[in-house]
Amino acid sequence: MPETRLPEQFRDLEQWIGWSLETEGERSDRRQASAMEDITAFYEAMLARMDEALSYLEQFSLEELPDDARRLFYLTLSLAEVAPAVEQFGQPSVVDGYDIKRFVATHR
Amino acid sequence: MAIHTHHDTEAGTSGTVWHEAYPELGTGPIPIEPCVSAEYFELERERIYKNTWLNVGRIEQLPRPGDYFVKDLPVCDTSVILTRGRDGVLQAFHNMCSHRGNKIVWEQHGSCQNFTCKFHGWSYSLDGSLRFIPDEERFCDLKKDRLGLTPIKVEMWEGFIFINLNPTPAETLTEHLGELGAGLEGYPFARLTTCYAWSTELKANWKVLKDAFHEAYHVPFLHKRSLPDSFTSPDNPYAHAFAFRLYERNHRMSVFGNPGHQPSPVELLAHRFGASIVKRDWEMADLPPGVNPTRSQFWAFDANMIFPNFDVFVFDGTYLTHHFWPLAPDRTLWEVKTYFPAAQNTAQRFSQEYSKVLLREALLEDASTLEATQSMLGSGAKKEFILQDQELLVRHGHKVIEDMVGFYRRP
Repeated sequence: MPETRLPEQFRDLEQWIGWSLETEGERSDRRQASAMEDITAFYEAMLARMDEALSYLEQFSLEELPDDARRLFYLTLSLAEVAPAVEQFGQPSVVDGYDIKRFVATHR
Repeated sequence: MAIHTHHDTEAGTSGTVWHEAYPELGTGPIPIEPCVSAEYFELERERIYKNTWLNVGRIEQLPRPGDYFVKDLPVCDTSVILTRGRDGVLQAFHNMCSHRGNKIVWEQHGSCQNFTCKFHGWSYSLDGSLRFIPDEERFCDLKKDRLGLTPIKVEMWEGFIFINLNPTPAETLTEHLGELGAGLEGYPFARLTTCYAWSTELKANWKVLKDAFHEAYHVPFLHKRSLPDSFTSPDNPYAHAFAFRLYERNHRMSVFGNPGHQPSPVELLAHRFGASIVKRDWEMADLPPGVNPTRSQFWAFDANMIFPNFDVFVFDGTYLTHHFWPLAPDRTLWEVKTYFPAAQNTAQRFSQEYSKVLLREALLEDASTLEATQSMLGSGAKKEFILQDQELLVRHGHKVIEDMVGFYRRP
C-alpha cells in the first residue's frame, strides 16, 4: 500500500480510498455493490471533511491536480454518487428504478 | 399546415382549465393503437421522420474544420455524416459510398482530410465531393462530379444541428421551430458547453417515453423519493404546471417549483458551486421571453418540446435534452444530455457531479414504468388512454402526430 495516497491532512480518509474512482460508471458500480452501512459510513466521513477538502483543492487547477489531490477529488465525486442512496432511497439503488446497468453513461 | 393558432392564455394559475384554451383538442380519451400498431409505426417513419427537421447534435461536437461525427438514424433507414469542412462550413451526407453502397465512415466521430471507403478505396472530401477512384480507367463513362456523397439538408439553430431527409423540405428550420424557437433565442446554450449524456434502449413505443416527460402529474408518485418536495408543495400537491402553450406542433409547459423545498446536506453543498434541476436561485439575468414566459416566481423550468422527438428543458443555469428515437413499434433509443458551464475548479465539478447524479436517479424512476406499460398496451384489454387537464401536452402530441400520419383518415 503506497504511503501517500491522499494529501497529508486527509490521511483520516485513507480507509475510503477504494471510493477514489475516476468515472461515473466505476463510482456507480461500487455504490450498487456496497452494503448500505458502508455507503452510509463513507457518506458521513466524507461529508464531515467536504469543506476542508474543497478548500484544499481550490489551490489546483482542474487540469493539473497532483496525484494525491486527484484521489481526494475523486472521493468528493463519490460523495455526490452515494448522496441519493443515503438522502433519498435508504438503499444502494433507486427504489423500483430502471436498471442502471442499462442506462449507459456516454461521458466519462 | 396551420392546425392550431396560438392562444394568449399564459397568465394562468393552477386553477386554470387549460383545455378550455384549446377547445379544438377536445377532452375525450385518446386511442392506444398508435403506441402498438406496426402499421402506425411505418407511417410515422415515412410521413414524419423522413420529412421533418430532426436534431442530430450540437455544433460543439464539431469544434474545428475537418471534424465530423456520425449519427445513425435507423428510423429513417440511414446513417448521416455531419462534417465541418476545411472552409468551416457545416454539411450533412448519407453515410454511403457512391460505388457499391458501402457505409463509408465507421467511427462515430473524428477529424480527417478525406473519407475513404474500406471496400474499394473510393475517397471523398469533407465537402462530399469524390476525390479519388482506384483503377479509375477501368470504369466506363464515369461522371465523377455527379458521384459525390448524397447531401442532406442541414441547418443550425442556437448551436443545435438539424437535418431533414426530404431534399425539398416543406418548411425551413426557422418555420419548424416557430414561436417556441424564437422565444428561446438568447438562452445561454453556447455557454453551457459541458455535456453529460446517457442512453438506453427501452422496450416501449417512442410516444410512451415522450408522454412520460410531457406531464408533471406523475411527479408526486414516481418521484416521491428522489424529488419529494421540489416540484410539489402543500398548496400544489399534484405538481400542477402553471403555464401551457401550444404552437402548431411544438409546445411548452412551465413547471412549478416549491419555494419551501428543503435541500439535503449534499445538495446544499453542491448548490454553493453550481446549478441543478432543483436549484432556484435566479442566477441568470435577462432570460429570453420564451423562458419562464409568465415571469412566475414559482418557475422551476420550462419543458419545451420540439416536434417530433426533441425536448429541451431549460432551467436557471442548466438545461437538458431528450431524444426519443423510434427503433420499432415497441422499441426506442432514449438519449438524455445535461449541460453545464465548463467547470473552472474542483468544487464546480463536484457540484455538477451531484446535479447529474440527482437527475440520473430521477430519470431511472421515470424509466421504471415504461416497459411495464408497453407490456400491457399490447393486451388489448384497454383501447384508450384517459387524460386530465394537466396532460394537455400528451393530448396535443398525439394529435399533431396523427395530423401528419393520417392513420384514422384512411379510407
